[in-house]
Amino acid sequence: MSITTVFESVLAALVLGLALWTIAVRETYSATVGFVAYGLMVALIWVGLDAIDVALTEAAIGGGLGGIVLLGAAARLRDTESTAAETPNRMVRLGAAALSAAIAAALAIAILLLPDAAPTLAPAAVANAAATGLANPVTNVLMAFRGMDTALEKVVLLLAIVGVWSLASDQAWGGRPGPHHEADPNGVLAFLARLLPPVGIVIGVYILWTGADHPGGAFQGGAVLASMWLLVIMAGLADTPPASSRRLRLVLVAGPGLFFLVGLGGLCFGAAFLAYPIAHAKPLILGIETAMLLTIAATLALLLAGAPERSVPR
Amino acid sequence: MSDFLTASVGFILAMLALGLVSILRGPGDADRMMSAQLIGTGGIAALLLLGTVTGVPAAVDVALILALLATFASIAFVKKGLSRLEVDSTDGT
Repeated sequence: MSITTVFESVLAALVLGLALWTIAVRETYSATVGFVAYGLMVALIWVGLDAIDVALTEAAIGGGLGGIVLLGAAARLRDTESTAAETPNRMVRLGAAALSAAIAAALAIAILLLPDAAPTLAPAAVANAAATGLANPVTNVLMAFRGMDTALEKVVLLLAIVGVWSLASDQAWGGRPGPHHEADPNGVLAFLARLLPPVGIVIGVYILWTGADHPGGAFQGGAVLASMWLLVIMAGLADTPPASSRRLRLVLVAGPGLFFLVGLGGLCFGAAFLAYPIAHAKPLILGIETAMLLTIAATLALLLAGAPERSVPR
Repeated sequence: MSDFLTASVGFILAMLALGLVSILRGPGDADRMMSAQLIGTGGIAALLLLGTVTGVPAAVDVALILALLATFASIAFVKKGLSRLEVDSTDGT
C-alpha cells in the first residue's frame, strides 16, 4: 500500500466522520460550520481524484459562497428556533428515518450495480480537442460538445434570480437587495475589503483565462469575482445596485444572450445551432466565457444578497 | 526531497484531524469557526504539497481559490454575529 493510498484513506475517514457529525449535531450554527469545513476537505478529495475542475468549484461554492448562504439562513432561523421548540412525534421521526434509509440503500444498490467498464465518452472528448483549439477537455465539453446544456444552465441561473427577487415585498420591488451594511471605515473589515479585491479580480480573470487549456473556467472565476464584490458590499464600501437598474439587468442577460446569439449565428451561417466555425472557435468560446464571467459573478452575488428589501426613491 | 514533502503532508493531515476534533468539541460557535479557518489554512498547505509531490500543478489554483474564499465564511460569521449583538443591545435598553 503506497503512502498516497494511506493519505487518501485517512482523508476519506476524516470527511466521513465530519459528515456524520454535521448531520447529527443539534445547533444550526455548528452544523453550518461543520458543512463549511466539509466543503474544504471534499475539495482536497477531488484533487486526489484528479478532478481539478470539480475541486475548484467545490472550493469556491462549498467552502466559500455556500457557507455565507447557510450562515445567513442560520442567523434568520436562530430567532425562530427558541420559540418553535416542539419536537416531531415518534411516527414522523420513524417515517423520516425509513425514508432516508431507503434513499441511502437505493444509492448504494445503484453504485453496486454499475457496469465494470463504465460507459464513457471521455476518450472521444480528448481525441476531438483539436476541433476547438482548447486543450481542457472539460471546457470543450461544456462550451462546444454539449454547449446547449451550458446555455440552458445559464438561463436557469437567471430563473433563480427571478425567483429570489419575486420574494420582495410590494414596496421594495425594484429596490436594493439585502440589508444596508455598515462597518467601521478604519476597521479590519474595511481594510480587507480594500486589500483583497484587486488580488481577487486578477485571480478570477486568471481562472477564466487558464480554463481554456487547464482546469478552470467561467463559473469558478465568476464565483471568485462574486465573493470579492460581496466583500466590498459587506464592508459597507459599496451598496448593492437596485434590482430595477438597467445596467445590472444588461449584465445579467449578457452571458446567455451572447451564447444564444453565437448559437443563432451557427444556425444561419454554419451547420447547426451552436456550430462554431472551426477557424474562430477559440475566440468565440473565450468571448462567450468572458460575458458569462460577468453574468455569473453578478448573479451569484445577487443570489447571496437576497431579495430586494429597500425601495429606491424615484 | 520528495520524502520530506510527503512527511509534511502527513503532518498537515494530522493537524487537519486535530482541527476536526476542535470543531467537534467547540464549545462556542466562534471556536468552531476558528477551527474551520485552521482547516482552510491546512487545506491550502496540503494542496500545495500534494500538487508538488504528485506533479499536478493545477492544485496550486485550487489552493489560490481556497486562500481567497476560506476567509469568507468567517467574515459572514462575524457580520451575522455583530448584527445579532446590535439587535440584542437594542432589545435590552
